[in-house]
Amino acid sequence: MSAAVQAPGGGAPRNAGGGTRPAARSGSDRRTRLVRLAVLLALGFVVVSLVRVITGAQEISSSGTLGTALGLAAPIALAGLGGLWSERAGVTNIGLEGMMIAGSFGAGWWGYQHGPWFGVLMGIAFGAIGGLIHAVATVTFGVDHIISGVAINILGLGATQYLAARLLTGTEGGGSTQSPQVDELPTLSMPWVGDQLLDLERHHWFLVSDLAAVVRAVTTGVSILTVLAVVLIVVSGIVLWRTAFGLRLRSCGEDPWAAESLGVHVYRYKYAAVVMSGACAGFGGAFLAVVAASQYREGQTGGRGFIGLAAMIFGNWRPGGLAGGSLLFGYTDGLRLRQGEESIHALLLVLGIGLLALGVWMLARRRFPQGGASLVVAALVLLWFALTDTVPGDFTGMTPYVATLLVLALASQRLRPPAADGVVYRKGQGR
Amino acid sequence: MRRGIRAAAVLAAAALALAGCGSDDEESPAASPSNGASKPPAAVELKIGMAYDVGGRGDQSFNDAAAAGLDKAKAELGAESQEVEAVTGEAESAREERLTQLAEGGYNPVIAVGFVYATSLAKVAPQFPDTHFAIIDSTDATGDNIANLVFAEEEGSFLVGAAAALKSKSGNVGFVGGVNTPLINKFEAGFKAGAEAAKPGIKVQSQYLTQPPDFSGFGDPAKGKTAAQGMFDAGADIVYQAAGGSGGGVFEAAKAAGGKAIGVDSDQALTADASVRDVILTSMLKKVDVAVYDFLQTVAQDQFKAGTVSFDLEQGGVDYSTTGGQVDDIKAQLDDYKQQIIDGSITVPTTVS
Repeated sequence: MSAAVQAPGGGAPRNAGGGTRPAARSGSDRRTRLVRLAVLLALGFVVVSLVRVITGAQEISSSGTLGTALGLAAPIALAGLGGLWSERAGVTNIGLEGMMIAGSFGAGWWGYQHGPWFGVLMGIAFGAIGGLIHAVATVTFGVDHIISGVAINILGLGATQYLAARLLTGTEGGGSTQSPQVDELPTLSMPWVGDQLLDLERHHWFLVSDLAAVVRAVTTGVSILTVLAVVLIVVSGIVLWRTAFGLRLRSCGEDPWAAESLGVHVYRYKYAAVVMSGACAGFGGAFLAVVAASQYREGQTGGRGFIGLAAMIFGNWRPGGLAGGSLLFGYTDGLRLRQGEESIHALLLVLGIGLLALGVWMLARRRFPQGGASLVVAALVLLWFALTDTVPGDFTGMTPYVATLLVLALASQRLRPPAADGVVYRKGQGR
Repeated sequence: MRRGIRAAAVLAAAALALAGCGSDDEESPAASPSNGASKPPAAVELKIGMAYDVGGRGDQSFNDAAAAGLDKAKAELGAESQEVEAVTGEAESAREERLTQLAEGGYNPVIAVGFVYATSLAKVAPQFPDTHFAIIDSTDATGDNIANLVFAEEEGSFLVGAAAALKSKSGNVGFVGGVNTPLINKFEAGFKAGAEAAKPGIKVQSQYLTQPPDFSGFGDPAKGKTAAQGMFDAGADIVYQAAGGSGGGVFEAAKAAGGKAIGVDSDQALTADASVRDVILTSMLKKVDVAVYDFLQTVAQDQFKAGTVSFDLEQGGVDYSTTGGQVDDIKAQLDDYKQQIIDGSITVPTTVS
């Protein structure tokens, strides 16, 4: 199963930049990449800490912001995980938003009657039903994946609006657009460390307080569903990359015809992947309804299904990458909602320093046009930072999108989607 | 492949059908028009058309208040009505169509509930010069047959701002707005002015959830919760929300942080979920039902007047609630501010400086 197979015809919508790649990556190569990533992250952490001390914008690395980021990232990551499962098996899934809506309704509707855990289960089931419809359309009937995805989005919204009007109207505390309150799920906190860390954080020391904030954010008041989401991402990574099942599933996304010739039942794998995809998206919707809002509310997904898809592409169709993309989005979204005007202003300095470093690095590698452009933008950003005290509210709202777009633009040269992603595969008909 | 196309067609058709079902709840009283003979005769037999904002009847807030006004008018004046509601993210043309259908169906007056109808009403109203229209919360659509029912939200917000300042122990309060529009700016301006008046130098944090044209800030409790959490973490102990459906998140955050919240539009200590009612200090009441009923009464008496009709503190169009008894100890001070606003000795700003 070579990874360097070209997608046949013009059928793959997102094949830009993909297609060729060294066939195998040696272990040491992988280790250098990990080390480089770790160094970059550490440097970024130091810069953020430094900026916090300089500007006094404590929110940019407070445990409150980081905890919020985790909570906001979880549903996006779950949607992204849904995309990962489906697209790794070669089925483009832009219906994630519709499946998420179905999940949030399922969770709200059942959750208020039979408790939050049952609600989450039903959310997952509703999402999986959405996935099943997508699988029937794209795998069995060979419908174009984009068309089916759009239909699922419309169907998800329309069906839930209809059902909500029928089932929730007149309920105590609910109405045609919202469900009654769902009971809370437990949150996990490590005993006694929370207060100590908060104390440490409140000293606002360089690096030490930031570290305390990070530790506090992941050990205090974390919803049990957030923990489950993290577990699910890790387990998905293991299943898809470390098991025979995962290898076969991914082979359906890279070259289904080759997989077929080796005796893989491609349809079955695609079905499993797309239903799992819907279940993940439904879980994301259930997370929104049960943890983030404690009720189903019309329109509460707010495009998070699409953002999850973007986070997955951002993460190069890999679980670690999509988690990083979701965290970046969750962080910037949380930040702008908490002391947004001051925090985002401080973020400008982080951005300026980052672009400056990037520019210098590119110049050192003799990539003059890119390096020059980076330096010019860095200068503009730093100038903006120096001449203002706050960023107006009209701009802070765009921050998550701009940040994601920026990183995507810088990283997009290396993206490699599954080679047969989005290709309609017919059994026994060859290419 | 042919099978594929057929499946796609079936899927698309099903999607459209269901999307259509979601848009209007067919339990319109017009299906069984009330018989005028059994009702006491009114000056003018009314056939009322109501076009609700997203949410419609049952949203426990804005639309329900308008519906309550309609119900009262129907009971007392004797009228029939047709009720339709908007859908999330619909096109401008859908709203135009909705108003046109009501007017063509002979409904008169037609009430557009919510500022989202401003643009479409401005287009539709001139085509039906004999129909009386009313729009709530907007003065953008004007004409000889349009009454603009607006509220002095800033005056009510001033009172709850004063209540927040008087009750705050940390000297730090917050405001969460759903979408950064001129209408919601009025809430913020009044709240800030009231807090400042009651406790000069008080810190008022302020945050909008989304910027127009992204109106998701009125329906995303997760964002409301995040913003309010940030304020409580930054030292606030009372947060006022004017965020529609996102407001539930603000109440949740207040409960988690051990703080208080202030409701909006209706008396939310009565309408919010039972688990969060005790964190609601008071609510800024915006009596949409009063406005709708008053308007219908003037029409029934054949005294329709075009132009702006303002419902302020003096007429009881806005107020603060005392449910739960949490502001009983400062009631005298609040009523004093109320009197000063009515007298005109305090002028409340409508924009944030």
